[in-house]
Amino acid sequence: MLLAAAEAICRIGHLPIPGAVVALVLLYGNLLLLRRIPEALGALADRVLSLFGLFFVPAGVGVVAYWPLLRADLPGILAALVGGTITTIAVTAVVAERLGRPKHTQEAADVGR
Amino acid sequence: MSAADRTLWLSLADAPAVDLGATVLLYVLAIKLQRRFGGSPVLNPTMVAVLFVVAGLELTGASYESYQRGVAFLPFMLGPAVALLAVPLFRQTALIRASGPMIIAALSAGLPCGILSAVGAAWLFGAHRETLVSIAPKSVTTGIAIGVSQAVGGVPALTATFVILTGIVGAVGGPAAARLVGVRDERALGLAMGIGSHGIGTARALRISEIAGAFSGLGMSLNGVLTAVLLPAAMTLLHP
Repeated sequence: MLLAAAEAICRIGHLPIPGAVVALVLLYGNLLLLRRIPEALGALADRVLSLFGLFFVPAGVGVVAYWPLLRADLPGILAALVGGTITTIAVTAVVAERLGRPKHTQEAADVGR
Repeated sequence: MSAADRTLWLSLADAPAVDLGATVLLYVLAIKLQRRFGGSPVLNPTMVAVLFVVAGLELTGASYESYQRGVAFLPFMLGPAVALLAVPLFRQTALIRASGPMIIAALSAGLPCGILSAVGAAWLFGAHRETLVSIAPKSVTTGIAIGVSQAVGGVPALTATFVILTGIVGAVGGPAAARLVGVRDERALGLAMGIGSHGIGTARALRISEIAGAFSGLGMSLNGVLTAVLLPAAMTLLHP
């Protein structure tokens, strides 16, 4: 049952840059064909995804090495990272909620809650 | 600490298994710490674990290079973990099908907004051109951002740094910002988190609810692929 996940892993190795995203699409397609989630895969996904943030820790530690480069443009970088990111999330969420909610999807959203 | 203790500690700190074990332990500790403080988003587990690891490396004098070699397994696991996002996506298939207009609206707003707000803000504060180009793809997932950065003449290492910091900012402040502007729909919040702050934002969304997590993974993937295609094309149009 873990084969589907394993297969996704090995496909990542053969594909160029957005390999992980391609593997996601492949696995999703696979699940659509299966029409259900194998129990072991579901358990694996729940466990791995609950640790999702862990996989970014080494990259975060790597940021320290670029401190001299960051310092050169610090005000602009801070404005872009903090202002830009918060603005983007707020704007995207508002637009999605306002524009993306014709009446017939309202019910679907409420069912999903 | 005696000299002998220190030698022992250094030899342990150089062992890959210790780097990996310590990182996992510190991350679990960071999650416990966050729970202890009522789930405060300011104590984002990824960020807190990074600070713990940096403090540990500085205190023991261990090298960053040997640490990165020791924990190489974790970045490797990121690919399979992203692929596993297919599971929450599949569980939410009906809801995603019913949310087409919302997904299109979120991408149309979020993709250009992520790039323009970053480049615009950095430009206003007089950042160098190299910084401007490198910061443009900051909202998409690392692997794609690095490829895009290379394609448009940025510095990939700098881009990777911006991507990580963007993720942390979004994970910490994103949900509060969305609440502040009155957003209640978990699908809209998830899409915005994934589009604005990729995987680290998705990690936060997964902790909010499965719906937020699934839509965040969806937003991250679509935004990543579209940015990879559109940003280099837009740059070519601007600077033929």
